[in-house]
Amino acid sequence: MADFQEQQTPQAGFFQRVSELIPFDWELIRHASAEPVPYHIKKWWFCLGGTVLYLFVIQVATGIALTFYYVPSPDQAYESVAQITQDVRFGWYIRSLHKWAANCMIVAMFLHMLRVYFTGAYRHPRQLNWCIGFLLLGITLTFGFTGYSLVYEQLSFWGATVGANLAEAVPLIGPTIAYFLRGGPEVGENTLTRFYVLHIGLLPTLAFGLVFLHILLIRLHGVTELEFEGKEVPEKERHFRFWPDHATTELLIGVLLMYLLTIMALVFPAGLGEPANPTQTPEHIKPEWYFYFNFRLLKLTSLRVSVVFTMALGGICFLWPFIEQWLSRKFKVPDRVWVMLGVLAFLGFLVLTVWESFVQ
Amino acid sequence: MDLTVKRYIVAALSFLFLVSLLLVAYQESRRLRVERKLEPVVTALNKGCVDCHRTDSPALVMEWEHSQHAAYGVGCVDCHSANQGEVDAWLHEGEYVSALVTPLDCANCHEKEYREFSQSHHAKAGEILASLDNVLAEKAAGMPGNNADSVNGCWQCHGSIIRFERDEDGKTITSGKENRPVIDSDTWPNSGIGRLNPDGSKGSCHACHSRHAFEAKLSRSPENCGKCHMGPDHPQIEIYNESKHGIAFYANRDRMALDTQGDWVLGRDYSAAPTCATCHISSYMTPNGQYTANSHDVGERISWTLRPVISTLLNSVIYQDGFKEDYPHTRELPEIGDTIETIEKVVENEELVSRTVPRQVARIVTWEERRQVMKGACLNCHSDTYVDNFYQQFDDLVILYNEKFARPAKAIMDDLLADGVLNPNAPFEHHVQWVYFELWHHEGRRARHGASMMGPDYTHWHGMYEVSKHFYQEFLPAVVEVARTKGAAMGRKYEQRVEELLAQEEHQWVKGLSDQEAEELRQMYQQRYNE
Amino acid sequence: MEIRGLGMDLKGKSSRRDWLAAVAMGVGLAVSYGVFALEGLLFLLPRQIKVRTRNLFAGKISQIQVGGVRQLFDLEGNAILLRRKAEREFQAFSSTCPHLGCKVHWEEEEQRYFCPCHRGVFDSDGVAVSGPPADGGQNLTQIPLEVDEDAGVVYIEVKDATRRRS
Repeated sequence: MADFQEQQTPQAGFFQRVSELIPFDWELIRHASAEPVPYHIKKWWFCLGGTVLYLFVIQVATGIALTFYYVPSPDQAYESVAQITQDVRFGWYIRSLHKWAANCMIVAMFLHMLRVYFTGAYRHPRQLNWCIGFLLLGITLTFGFTGYSLVYEQLSFWGATVGANLAEAVPLIGPTIAYFLRGGPEVGENTLTRFYVLHIGLLPTLAFGLVFLHILLIRLHGVTELEFEGKEVPEKERHFRFWPDHATTELLIGVLLMYLLTIMALVFPAGLGEPANPTQTPEHIKPEWYFYFNFRLLKLTSLRVSVVFTMALGGICFLWPFIEQWLSRKFKVPDRVWVMLGVLAFLGFLVLTVWESFVQ
Repeated sequence: MDLTVKRYIVAALSFLFLVSLLLVAYQESRRLRVERKLEPVVTALNKGCVDCHRTDSPALVMEWEHSQHAAYGVGCVDCHSANQGEVDAWLHEGEYVSALVTPLDCANCHEKEYREFSQSHHAKAGEILASLDNVLAEKAAGMPGNNADSVNGCWQCHGSIIRFERDEDGKTITSGKENRPVIDSDTWPNSGIGRLNPDGSKGSCHACHSRHAFEAKLSRSPENCGKCHMGPDHPQIEIYNESKHGIAFYANRDRMALDTQGDWVLGRDYSAAPTCATCHISSYMTPNGQYTANSHDVGERISWTLRPVISTLLNSVIYQDGFKEDYPHTRELPEIGDTIETIEKVVENEELVSRTVPRQVARIVTWEERRQVMKGACLNCHSDTYVDNFYQQFDDLVILYNEKFARPAKAIMDDLLADGVLNPNAPFEHHVQWVYFELWHHEGRRARHGASMMGPDYTHWHGMYEVSKHFYQEFLPAVVEVARTKGAAMGRKYEQRVEELLAQEEHQWVKGLSDQEAEELRQMYQQRYNE
Repeated sequence: MEIRGLGMDLKGKSSRRDWLAAVAMGVGLAVSYGVFALEGLLFLLPRQIKVRTRNLFAGKISQIQVGGVRQLFDLEGNAILLRRKAEREFQAFSSTCPHLGCKVHWEEEEQRYFCPCHRGVFDSDGVAVSGPPADGGQNLTQIPLEVDEDAGVVYIEVKDATRRRS
C-alpha cells in the first residue's frame, strides 16, 4: 500500500466542508481509490470486468429511457416497441443501443470469466467473488431472456413459453418455478407483467447489490498480484496510479464502446418481427444465441436430461473454487490440468453454440 | 502506455464517437423524410372479398396489395361492382359484381386516359373482323364450329366481342347457386386491347396495365407492347431490340426510373433511352422548361400509316364529340364546321355492325403537326438536323416501297380482278394471292417499320430484300401462271404486262447490269473470295 | 491522496504537452457525451412526433351528388362523414361528437349535423349551434381533403395507423 500525501488545494477545502455535513470517514474512500494498480492491469485483457460494468451502466441508462414509452400489456407491448422504433425521435437508436449493449455485455462477461479462470484469480482467498460473479452471470442471462420477451414478437412469446417449459423440467421445484415465472399454468397476461417486473425491478436491484459486493471484495482483497514467468519487472514499474492513468484507460474503453455500439446501431438497427400470435407457433423457435449451447444439448438429449445436466454444470461452476481447491489438495493436480479443463469446457460451449447456429 | 498518448487516443475516440452520433442524427432526419411504401388498406367494403379470396386466390390478393390502388384503399368492389340488370352482373355475397372490368369502369377515376384511349386505334383494334387477316384465321386455319385460331390467336391481341351463352329466346343462361351468367368461353378470358365490351365501351385497360398490381413499370417496359407488336407482319419489338434505342434501354434499365409515381418525363426523370411509351404516349421535356402531357391516344404522333398496301401520310379529323378519323393525305379534308356522315362500328346484339352517324368537324390536325409532336420527343436527345434528316431517310424508304413495288403490284392485282381472272369472293384461291398478301402485309410492312424505328436489318434483309425477291421470283411468275388459268390469251396478255414492267428503268437490272458494273462485281469477288 | 489533477507534472518539462492532451480529451468527452445526452433528451421529449398521414380514396366526384353525404372509415375504424357542399366544394367531418363521443349524423331536411345523445346540433359547416357542444364551443373535427378534379376523385387525409414490419 502506498503512502498518500495531503495537498492543500481548493478541492481539499471543499471536501473538508462537505465532510462536516456528512461525518463519514472519507479518508477510507480516498484511500480505496488511490490504490495503486499492479502493472499487469495495463494489459487490455484485464479491462474486461470494467467493460461489463460500463455496458451495464449503458443498459440501465437506455433501459430507463425505454421505460418512458414501453407499455407492458400484451395488446400494447408490440405497438409501443414499434412506436419507439419508428415514431419516437432517436427511438431506433436508443433501442438498438440497448440491444447491442446487451449482447456485448454478455460476450464481455464470458470473456471476463475466461480471463479470471485462466489467471487463477478465483483462488484462495477470492473464492466468494467468483461465486458472486457467477450469480451475476446468471442474472445477466436472465436479463437477456426477460428483456427479449418484452418485445412481444412471435419469438419473444414462444421463447418465453419454451423457457418456462424448461424451468418446469427442473427436478422437484421445477413446476413451481415455472408457475411463478408464468404467473399461471400458461404464458399469458401475467407472464408479461412478471417478466417486466423482473427486468426493470428485481433483477436490477439484485445486480446493483451483487456488483457492489463484487467490487467491494476486489478492493478489500486488493488486486491479485501476478508473477509472470521469465519476466523481471523493476520495482518502480510494479504499480501505476489508479488516477489518472487507470481512470483514463477506463474512459478510453467507455468512449470506444460508445463508438462501436453506435456503429452497430447504425448498421444493424434493432428490427421488428411478426407480432406475437398465441395461436400460431412459428416453424423454428430459437432462443437468443447465448442459450444456444443449452438448446443444442436439449435437442441432443431430452428435456429432463439437459435440464438436470445444466443444473449440475451450473452448480459445479458456482462452487468451482472450492471444488478445485479440494481436488488439488487431494490429488496433487498440476496446474496445466486445470488449464486444459478450462480450454475443453470453453471449446465445448463454443462447439455447441456454433452447431446450433447452423441448424434450423 | 504513456498517459499523454492515452489521452490523445481518448480524444480521438471521442471524435469518432461524435461523428457516429452525427450519423445517427442524419439518419434520424432522413427517416422522417423518406417516403416509405404504404401498407395496403382494406376498407370495410372490400374486407369480405379479401378475407375469402386471400385463401381462394392468394397470389391475386397479394398482387393487389402491392398496387397503388391498395395504398389508397381502392379495392375489389370499387372496380368489380356492377348494377343489377346488367348482362354480366350477378349477386355475389351480397354485392352485384362482374368479372369484367371495362375501360368505362376504370374511367370512373381515370377519365382523361379513358377519353384519349377510346379515340385511339388501340380501342379500334377489335374491329378487324372484316379483314383478310380474319379470313385467314377463320377460314384458312379454322373450320365451322371451331374458330380456335381466331380465339387463341387474333382475338387475344385484338380483342374479342364479349358474348354470353343464350337460350333459344335469347335470354342469358345462368349457372351455379348464384345464377352467374355464363359467358361464351370463346370470347373470354380475353384482354385484347380492342375488346368489345357489353357496356358499349371498347378496349381493355389491363391489356397494358396488367392486373392486379397495375404496375407502372410494367406498362412502360417495351416487352409489354411486344406481346402484340411483334411477328412477321409488324415486328416492332424485334426492330426496337435491334435498334440503338433498344440496346440503350436494356443496358440501362436500372436508370430508367420506371417506377416513377405520377408523370414519367423524358429529360427529367430519365434520359438513358426511349421506350415504346416514351415516343408514342409519354411526356417529354420541351425547350420552354415544361413537359408535354401524356396521351393514351397512341396514334397522335404518327404521320405515316404503314399498314396498307400503299402507305399514305395521315391527317386527323376530330369531331365535336371527340370521335376521330384518320384521313389519308390523298383524301380531301373537310372544313371545320362541316357535318360529315361518319361510319362507326358498334356492337349490337353481340355483333359488330356499321353505323352512320352525322358529326360536326371540330378540329383538323395535319400529318406535319402530328410529326412535330413526335419530333418533340426526339429533340430531347438529337439535334433538329439529325431528326429532320432521319425523317427524310424514313420517308424515302416508304416512297421507294410504294413506288417500286406496291403500286405496280396493286395495279396488276386490280387488273386481274377486273379481267375476271381472280374471283373477288375467293381472296386466297391462287398462289399469287398469298404471295401478294405477304408482299405488302408481311415483308412490305417489315421494311417500312424497320425504317421507321431504325432497325436496318429489318429494313433491308427482312424487308426490302424479301420484297424484291418475292416480287421478282414469286409474284410476277405467279401473275402469269394465274392468268393462264383463264386461257392462253389471258396468259399472253399478262406475260406482256410483266415484260413491259421489267423494261422500266428500275427493273432493267434483272436482264443485265452494265458492262462496267458487271466487271466491278467480278473483280470484287475475285479479290475477296478468290473465285 | 495523490491529486494528480490535470497532469501537472512536478518536472514541468512536458507539462504543456500533457495539458494539451488533457484538454483535448476533456473537450472530446464533453462534446461527444454532450451530443449523446442531447439525443437522449430529444428521445424523452415526445412533443414533435410527426403524425404520419396518408390519403385514402373517398369516392368518385361523379358518384356524389351535390348536397349528398356518404360515410367512410379511417384506418382506426372511426366513421367520417363526407359531404359535397357545392359543385366543387367538399367537406369531411369526424362523426364522433366532440361532447361525449356519440355518433353524429346528417339531417337533410334541417341541413344540419345532429347528435341524438344530448341533442347537440351543428350547422352544415360543422360549427356547434346548440346543445352541449355549443355550450362548450366544440365544433366537429374537420378531416382534411384532397380533390383531384382531373381524375374526378376525392381523397381524405387520415392518420397512418398501419405498422411496417422492419
